[in-house]
Amino acid sequence: MMQNAADNAATLSQAAPVLRIGAVDKYFGATQVLQNCTLDVGDGEIVTLLGPSGCGKTTLLRCIAGFWDADAGRIEIDGQDMTPVPVNRRPVGVVFQSYALFPHLTVARNVGYALRMRGTPASEIEARVTEALRTVSLEGFESRYPAQLSGGQQQRVAIARVLVMQPRVLLLDEPFNALDAKLRSTMQVELRQLIKQLGITSIFVTHDQEEALTMSDRIAVMRGGRIEQAATPDEIFDRPVSSYVADFVGTSNFWDAQAEAGQVTLPDGQSVETGLSGKVRVMSRPHNLRLAPEEQGPWRGVVLFQRHIGPLIEYHVEMPDGATIKVAAIRQDRVRPVRDRAAVSIGIIDSAQVSVFAD
Amino acid sequence: MADVTSSPAISGPGLGEKTLDLLLSGRGIWPAVPSIIVLVVVAVIPFILLLSLGFSDIEVARGEIVSQTFSLNHLTNALSDSLYWTTFKRSLSLALSTTALCLLFGYPVAYLFAVGGRWTRRVILILTIAPLLTSGIVRTYAWLVILGGRGVVNWAFLKLGIVDSPLRIMNTHWAVLIGMVQIHLPVMILPLVAVMSRHDNRLIEASENLGASRLGTLRTIIFPMSAPGIGTGAALVFTLSYTTFVVPQLLGGGNYLNAATMIYEQVVFSLEWSKGSVTSLLLMVTCLAVLVMISLATNYFTGWTKGRDA
Amino acid sequence: MKALKRSSLTDIIGLGLIFGVAIFSLILLVAPSIIVLIISFDTRAYVSFPPEGFTLRWYGEVFQKSELVESMLNSLQVGLTVTVLCILLGVPTALACVRGRFRGTTALSVFVLVPHMVPGIVLGVAVLFAGALVGVSPSIWLQSVAITVFILAVMVRTVQSRLMRLDPALEEAAANLRATPFQSLRTVTFPLLMPAILAGSVFTFVEGIDNLSVAIFTHGFRDRPLPVELLALVQYTSTPLVAAVSGVQIVLAIVALIAVSLTIGLDNVND
Repeated sequence: MMQNAADNAATLSQAAPVLRIGAVDKYFGATQVLQNCTLDVGDGEIVTLLGPSGCGKTTLLRCIAGFWDADAGRIEIDGQDMTPVPVNRRPVGVVFQSYALFPHLTVARNVGYALRMRGTPASEIEARVTEALRTVSLEGFESRYPAQLSGGQQQRVAIARVLVMQPRVLLLDEPFNALDAKLRSTMQVELRQLIKQLGITSIFVTHDQEEALTMSDRIAVMRGGRIEQAATPDEIFDRPVSSYVADFVGTSNFWDAQAEAGQVTLPDGQSVETGLSGKVRVMSRPHNLRLAPEEQGPWRGVVLFQRHIGPLIEYHVEMPDGATIKVAAIRQDRVRPVRDRAAVSIGIIDSAQVSVFAD
Repeated sequence: MADVTSSPAISGPGLGEKTLDLLLSGRGIWPAVPSIIVLVVVAVIPFILLLSLGFSDIEVARGEIVSQTFSLNHLTNALSDSLYWTTFKRSLSLALSTTALCLLFGYPVAYLFAVGGRWTRRVILILTIAPLLTSGIVRTYAWLVILGGRGVVNWAFLKLGIVDSPLRIMNTHWAVLIGMVQIHLPVMILPLVAVMSRHDNRLIEASENLGASRLGTLRTIIFPMSAPGIGTGAALVFTLSYTTFVVPQLLGGGNYLNAATMIYEQVVFSLEWSKGSVTSLLLMVTCLAVLVMISLATNYFTGWTKGRDA
Repeated sequence: MKALKRSSLTDIIGLGLIFGVAIFSLILLVAPSIIVLIISFDTRAYVSFPPEGFTLRWYGEVFQKSELVESMLNSLQVGLTVTVLCILLGVPTALACVRGRFRGTTALSVFVLVPHMVPGIVLGVAVLFAGALVGVSPSIWLQSVAITVFILAVMVRTVQSRLMRLDPALEEAAANLRATPFQSLRTVTFPLLMPAILAGSVFTFVEGIDNLSVAIFTHGFRDRPLPVELLALVQYTSTPLVAAVSGVQIVLAIVALIAVSLTIGLDNVND
């Protein structure tokens, strides 16, 4: 929470935020689905709401769009309270998970829909539709129907359809879900570049941490209706505020330890400073660990198997207490091949990169 | 609030537009209000009036209603009248056997639909829907032609030497039953086919892959999954055949009385409105009772459809 | 292996039986209509099988008999009135049932079904009786309204089931794209409901033309609808005239089927 406040302060000091979410609560019957959600998003910033299903990320998005009303708190855009503003008058564009393209309208009519609803003159509509389609590289598709487009093309129509009304805030609800894995990563990069180029303030919703790390300027990790941590991808990855965040973003190893006199002793003999005392949980990323022959260290185990992930090798080491510790090494750095069932010891590369949590 | 209304980009809609939106958005009950009014005026109130007639003694003098008092006389009269008992028993057994036979003849068609390809399915749909687009009277008339003394069946029987002189089939219980089954068959097939077309053919493939025989798949996979369709079809066929009046009138001859023809005679020929009211009530109550039983049976066999959402 | 072989033998017998019954049933569905068609061309003035000659005389008589032509026109009017009323009443009701955010949406959908669950003959008697009490005598309009009430549930159900399968995000997208609720209804919801409305219309129109149980009590004495006229005709005529009327209906049904399958598709009808 400290992190959160500090971050908000940082954004505020630069310029007034475009979108301010202030202490938003939302209930479904007796269940609280959003709890004191506070987040400021600066001009042109891309912020991702990241979390497992049911964490409230989509609910928050829908409250911003105006599909649902928040039960408490304020949502402001450019300093204006959005509470009394109906959905169809909010300066917000939504790209839906299903894209929600109108199946009975051509691409051109889908993209021009918002302008027609506003009563824009036909000549202007045509020009702006053409421009929007050029922005997403879909010239020449004007007279196609959504069903005649590929998934990637449909997504681009959905984006052009909201861009054409020049929204102040762009909301994207898991927009890559309907795409296959390979197309997904290409589209992620393309979409980020497009949004950055247009400079639109955007909120992304996803449960995919890799997508969040690729797309965002900042990530807000959500848990049970609360924003657990909102920070840059680097910070989320390297300095998670809780074991939940650490576990959700990236691969992590956890073990229990005792903190005494501001110090936690690590299993390989090093120690690390902490403000906590008593029982703590210690976390290290697999790439901060390294394998050594058994006799070189006190933290010993047996290699269960090795997983090859691109240029990385991830060793799963079974410890005497039955826990598994994951150790990652870059393929080239491997000194000599490690056999399965080999007895090894594990060392921590940089003790400053180890996180200590209270839970 | 003040700064919102002053901003042209996000100013509130006009009052007229707002009212129209509220009326047409479908969020409130408003869109349904005309229907509710029509249903109350043309169905609910008339039902209540008709029933109140069956439960009152009315004294009429010089064409004017003098007094109207609550009474169970009409009901007790009806229940002690053996004509009522035989008529309702006949209606009920006719409707139940029609439902059972429709299921017996309709289910194989639905199975053929389930395992059939695109064209089989199309042919089944056309053959099932087509009769529904022609009049029930026309379809009943066809059976007069088929079962009559000079009809198709007797012609065939005579030709084949099965009988020496024309059989009397018309104006019997059998004629009514045959007509009923054939006329209501599409109504049974359609819900079954609807359920089947929602099924995933991969389930059938999975079952066969797991070693089930074709019949085993039918018994353990297709049949249980089509139970909702069986329930709907049975309810529809029962209601229609229990309350029909064309088929018994035309194929059963003038003397064949079921509950519906009884109401018709009471109201149209003998102008005994109170009796007609009581008969209507009995018809509705017994029909509802059977429908509830069908629905309970369906629920019992379709417990699996009520997943976490229920 | 042995068990497998035996099971496939029962399979063959069982399936043969099932397919046999299925084909018999499919023939049973249409055979009577075909026999009536054959009879309708017979030269004899009484119904008998097999026919002895070929004539179009009975078809000519159908269109010369003024009561019959009038009753057809009456029923056509009833069918159209019922369909229009069902669209006007049913589509908004289906919207309220599915999209409504008020308590009792379920109660509403059940309530709409009630008149359809009541035997048509009882509804007919009730409407006739209530009409008599308030001085509304049977007429083509009373008949149309009564049949509308009886068949409204079908329109509501058809539109409702289509509406439930529509992606709710489509309407949200429309709202997000600046559409007012009315605009969203006009430009998105309504066009997407069109197949269901057409399918529902097929049923309400056929019911309007074909309904006897409600119509027999509520029709006007001068405006006899086709089913009432046909019933009398079947009971009191022995010539193949009725077969010719059937023939006309069968041809119309085939035309309707082709039209339906070309426009909205058969699968849409059966929901």
